[in-house]
Amino acid sequence: MKLYFSILLSILTFSLFAQVSEQLIPKDAVTVFSLNNIQLLQKVSLDDLVKYEFMAEVQQELFDGSTSGKTLKDSGMDFDQKLNVFYGKGDEYEVSGFTFGIKDKKKLFEVFDDFEKAESPYPGTELYVSFFNNLIIKGNSGLLIRVDPTMEKIDELTDSIWYARGNENPWMDDYYFDETESVEEMGDETLYEEEIEEDGTVTRYYSADDNNPNRKNYFELRDSVLTVYQSKYFYDVCDELFVKNYNLMQHDLRFTEQIAHASEGIFYLDNSRSLQKAQNLWYIQTMFPSLYKDIKELYTGNVILGDLFLKESSVEFHIEARYGEALGTIYQKMNDTKFDNNTLKYIHKDNSAFFTYNVNLREAYEQAYKVIVPLLSDEKSLQVSYNLLLLELLNEYINKDALFSTYKGSMFGTFNGIKKIKTRKIEFVYDEETFEYQEVEVEAEEDMPIFTVGFSTDRGDIPEKVLKHLSRLTSRFKNMGTYWIYEEAVLDAAPLYMIHNNGLFIFTNDMDLAVNHADGYGKDAMKGKMRKKVKKSGFMYSSIDWGTTIDKFPRDFFNAEQNEILDAMRGKTGTMELTSTKTTTEKTNFKLVYDFSGQTSDATGKYLLDLINSVYVISR
Amino acid sequence: MRLFHFSLFFLLILCLSSCIEIIDDVTINNDGSGNLKYTINLSASKVKINSILALDSLDGHRVPTKDEIAERISSFQKRLEAKTGISNVLVETNFTDYIFKVHCDFSSIDALQTAIKDVIKEESKEKNLKELDHNWMSWDGNKLVRSVPDITIERAKSLKAEDAELLKQGNYTSITRFQRPVDKFDNTNAVLSKNKLAVMVKTNPYALTQDYNLLENTIYLTPTK
Repeated sequence: MKLYFSILLSILTFSLFAQVSEQLIPKDAVTVFSLNNIQLLQKVSLDDLVKYEFMAEVQQELFDGSTSGKTLKDSGMDFDQKLNVFYGKGDEYEVSGFTFGIKDKKKLFEVFDDFEKAESPYPGTELYVSFFNNLIIKGNSGLLIRVDPTMEKIDELTDSIWYARGNENPWMDDYYFDETESVEEMGDETLYEEEIEEDGTVTRYYSADDNNPNRKNYFELRDSVLTVYQSKYFYDVCDELFVKNYNLMQHDLRFTEQIAHASEGIFYLDNSRSLQKAQNLWYIQTMFPSLYKDIKELYTGNVILGDLFLKESSVEFHIEARYGEALGTIYQKMNDTKFDNNTLKYIHKDNSAFFTYNVNLREAYEQAYKVIVPLLSDEKSLQVSYNLLLLELLNEYINKDALFSTYKGSMFGTFNGIKKIKTRKIEFVYDEETFEYQEVEVEAEEDMPIFTVGFSTDRGDIPEKVLKHLSRLTSRFKNMGTYWIYEEAVLDAAPLYMIHNNGLFIFTNDMDLAVNHADGYGKDAMKGKMRKKVKKSGFMYSSIDWGTTIDKFPRDFFNAEQNEILDAMRGKTGTMELTSTKTTTEKTNFKLVYDFSGQTSDATGKYLLDLINSVYVISR
Repeated sequence: MRLFHFSLFFLLILCLSSCIEIIDDVTINNDGSGNLKYTINLSASKVKINSILALDSLDGHRVPTKDEIAERISSFQKRLEAKTGISNVLVETNFTDYIFKVHCDFSSIDALQTAIKDVIKEESKEKNLKELDHNWMSWDGNKLVRSVPDITIERAKSLKAEDAELLKQGNYTSITRFQRPVDKFDNTNAVLSKNKLAVMVKTNPYALTQDYNLLENTIYLTPTK
């Protein structure tokens, strides 16, 4: 019996006090990716791993030549613990890093070879530091963390110290700085005078404070403030983790619940805390603090939680977007609408990439008006009062029936591949007698991605009215009977076609659709199982066949961020499908399925990372 | 002249990688003066250029705006105008069809070469362009010799395969005009106009990167009476 109790006690002690990697995530983390099943990643090379965007925050000098040719398996990591990548930005500092299990410390430091051991102020932990990052080991878990004060905070502190010391505006000289003159002046100037005391001590008297090498210039001061606050915030974060034992799991029970899921990975994004990251809210935060507080309250409870499931030949990402009641009522009203069957007439059965989006803008507007106007009314600011008056007047005078019947909110979009489109080019024609030449305009063909976007309308007569007037102003708008054409509209070269039919107003650069299928694709339109799936999927549905779509997307048509996502998916096959459930006042669920049938099981880890990376790039 | 062609040429390849037509048209009077007409026609790649110009950056390089391009061309024009022996500098820019034309009169071949070299030195970030040591055109009153420096050929070899493919779709036309009839010329790819006053070589930019002899030529004129 004694032995039984001893064993039981040992098990209890181990399970209660064993450190696991997720308990090292600081409460300041706003976004967390947590991978349960990191066995899958064993074969992924470290060099490949650090190329992912979600590793960029911590990889600077972490992985270098020492990682060449190594995989995660060689890094000493414990694959029975979770790998958690986190990021968070608050008012004063941002944290980034990851936590992980450790199996073999020796191997770990062959990879993390830039770290040097330092004295840890926290009992039971080991501290290692490098130029940018800190590694803290507690038990069998490691926290690799970087804490950076926000530059707004550092600038504010630096300016405060700088001016308190009686200095002038540090940027003053930037406007009329004359390099040559300054150098000459400096050349003639006496920097300091020395006085040698009887005991041999040398005292230097500087002719001006600016020449005193012991007195910091603005940038040196800023670096010092940065270093001090980097250290202060790092220890603030660590105190909370290792003294108060307070981490994200204690801070947010939704995260604790989520990380307990038996999925291969989880995702957590606290939107209410990431609000201050939004650059466009900076002005509101500064100028109208009480309005900003109200907006923050509106976002209370706004969190996105996700589960990653690995199936035999697919990765499934189940996402739950939760929000507070006020926002929830707007979302619910917005999504309370019937699916417009007409949109499906314009999606070809063989289409490789499309989306449908089904919302009721009128209802959303009315509800948002009810929620937002009281917030604005409470703000005692001239500018907000003026805008509120304008909003209320517009609400009274504008014909909302006409406006929201013209653009109801439901829409669809398709990518129809790359097609040759007719353009014009200039050729030079030579006279054989003299070789003099002249310009001749001839027909040409160029490759162009073909897109179609259409929206539901009950008042198609209104855009028609606009087009009629435009056609009087310029010959580039032409009524072709079943469709309109706007010459050289797309990239100043290709025509844009507009179709008003079946309660839809459609914009496309697909001549075939406009000329031959203005009434829809008929028997070639989407049907059967897919049609049912699209109709059943809440407020949105999208589907992409990577194999036939992504490689065709020309880089030139997308910005750098969009290309990052596309690059991660290039060269892959399979389909990706995004569906949503009915929206309630509390939440909306989404499901993203990446089906890569036909690929080897070895590729699963790579596909998983690609998917995580895409989600990370989109969500940051 | 070749250096001027290739500075612009490489700039365009790097920025646009598109289908391109270049016409280099030089008229040489009996006294060695003359005029240069240089035309770049990108109208066959309008869609691609417009799509690139709509972006902020491409492959890590900032994409200039139309205004910045126009400003750069205007700066080139001003610099060229200021050079000794160069006059009547005209630049035509057509941002609808992407056709750019430069015209200038020169007092001598040497003045033209010096002016172009100076402008390239002023405009280029690369300070030690070895091509600038080379004279790519010489004229003795009866014979015009056009040549290409080896270093340019070496640079051309570093072109990426996809860029090379696009260049194959382009056209390069070199025309040399005179005030008196041409007697004979060395380049077997060249053709003589019916009035015998102009020699034309037509090729594509890719072929040119592979074999610069395509443009090398010595043109002999009939003796003056």
